[in-house]
Amino acid sequence: MKIFLLLLPAMSIIVLLFFGGLLIGLMRSFNYMPVIGLTDPDFSAYVAVFTDREFYLSFMLTFHIAFTSTVISSILAIGAALLLRRSFAGRAIVNFLFQLNLTVPHLVGAIGMLYLFSQSGSFARLAAEWGMITKPSDFPALVFDPYAIGIILQYVWKEIPFIGVIILANMQSIGEDYESVARSLGASKWQTFRYVLLPLIFPGVLSASVMVFAFTFGAYEIPAILGANFPAALPVLAYRKYTDVDLAARPEAMAMAIVIAILSAVMIYFYVRYSRRRVRG
Amino acid sequence: MTHVSIKELTKVYPGATEPSLDRLSLEIPTGELTALLGPSGCGKTTTMKMIAGLLEPTSGDVTFDGRSVLRDKPEHRGVVMVFQNYLLFPYMSVADNVGFGLKMRKIDPAEIKRRVGEMLEMVKLPDLGDRKPSALSGGQQQRVALARALIVQPNVLLLDEPLSNLDAHLRFEMRDLIRSLQQDMGITTIFVTHDQEEAVVLADRVALILDGKMKQYDAPDAFYKRPVDEATARFFGGHNFIEGSATGTRYEGAIGTLQLPEGVPQGPGKLTFRPENLALGADPSTPNTLTATIKDKIYLGTQTRLKLSVGSQIIDIITNPNQVETATPGQTLTVTLPPEALWMLNS
Repeated sequence: MKIFLLLLPAMSIIVLLFFGGLLIGLMRSFNYMPVIGLTDPDFSAYVAVFTDREFYLSFMLTFHIAFTSTVISSILAIGAALLLRRSFAGRAIVNFLFQLNLTVPHLVGAIGMLYLFSQSGSFARLAAEWGMITKPSDFPALVFDPYAIGIILQYVWKEIPFIGVIILANMQSIGEDYESVARSLGASKWQTFRYVLLPLIFPGVLSASVMVFAFTFGAYEIPAILGANFPAALPVLAYRKYTDVDLAARPEAMAMAIVIAILSAVMIYFYVRYSRRRVRG
Repeated sequence: MTHVSIKELTKVYPGATEPSLDRLSLEIPTGELTALLGPSGCGKTTTMKMIAGLLEPTSGDVTFDGRSVLRDKPEHRGVVMVFQNYLLFPYMSVADNVGFGLKMRKIDPAEIKRRVGEMLEMVKLPDLGDRKPSALSGGQQQRVALARALIVQPNVLLLDEPLSNLDAHLRFEMRDLIRSLQQDMGITTIFVTHDQEEAVVLADRVALILDGKMKQYDAPDAFYKRPVDEATARFFGGHNFIEGSATGTRYEGAIGTLQLPEGVPQGPGKLTFRPENLALGADPSTPNTLTATIKDKIYLGTQTRLKLSVGSQIIDIITNPNQVETATPGQTLTVTLPPEALWMLNS
């Protein structure tokens, strides 16, 4: 009873704001919106979402962005953590620099990307200065591009220190003795990493990368700034519907938001299951 | 079957001014069980890691059967280390833990299964292969760690404080298990410990390391009978150090004249003797017998400790409680110091 009372403030916020918001979104996605006279719930918004070709293209793009960013940043973060846990001269400084961009907001990072990598950005200008290109379109399209390279670059840049810091702390609390045991039992350096260190840090890698996946799958601002117009990432598509002048498009936006949430949950479930079997089995 | 030889092994950690290990030399004959004994921080674990190849020495050499192994990677040395906290891989079953070394050597899975079964039989845990390490007691975990080490048939086995995490009753069981496996397989074994009792109980020979230097390398009883200096004697619980000098087998000093055994170091120094090797209540005319006054009496359960004054000196003795039940401080009695219980330390 006491525990229940103590948890009440936190729980009420979660229940009211999160589940409340979810409930309203859910009702609207079923076309139940009494304010504009919609009182008969139906599935028409979902039908509209699932029959729209753009939705599938957007889904594939968003999955590509989230999956690629998560995998690349996880692998690079593990590598960075492996280097940073060694002792070397200047380690404190390197460690500080490594974590520095944790403090930079995503939005600021995205604008930086825009300035640096767009076809009229700093790198393009440098390339033109050195005679490597003659006009802006000669510079590879790294932002607003169909492969979402700019978005992925931005996410990787931002998430490596996030995952890296978690894994580094993880590695430091595990220590090096398990690896010493493995080496003395005849494991090579690679085998030691594959069969001992990786499974040991795996829970940390998993939870950090799940957070990154969920975030990159559902985030709006980066694809809105750095993404191509068509197909747009799912959150961008949902927001467009939401701000459509036609209020009737709003249920469709809500349906899309609900679908994004369900898809994230399902994909995370399979990701966790599959990777656990691969690494620890 | 490996003769391990450590020559002038030294380790200075980066940034340290004092060496953690200072020119340690040891010969460990094939198949012997040797203890590296010393207080924590004396360089024992550093030595083990250098033998295993997990740490590079600053100078010196480690040879197996006369061949230097310093350039060999840890996985090629045939040295397996069992850590004090066992370090079983927590996400693997007991059987997978034991089979780990074989899997790394890419042995056929059916063969691994067979040998793991045999090994678990040897450490008397035949039915626990499917469990996770967290479901085992400390003693069981240690046996799994031992099985995991022995299954790869190492040339040299290194044990880090093998008995110190165990209850008193498990200690002897484990001691017997380690000794019998080690003898059966003939593996040259080195273990480190800070506990002199653990060293004495388990080892054929003990190397005492104090302040990064080796003090004495000898059979266990020699540390009690013939310590090389006061620090060594004190580490083994010695209390009695009395000024004097030895000429042949004759001691003369602060507590009179006594007969010494053959071979004691000559000249001025300190007389030492174990508190437990003395006899009380002999006739005052018996050789090597002194008259003493009881200063203090401390009851320790299975034994009683007496502080006796002989002239201006205090000597410490340990005796059977029944023998001194009625003794009280202030009383005088006779104490006999048999020559074979005496030793001289050069100053």
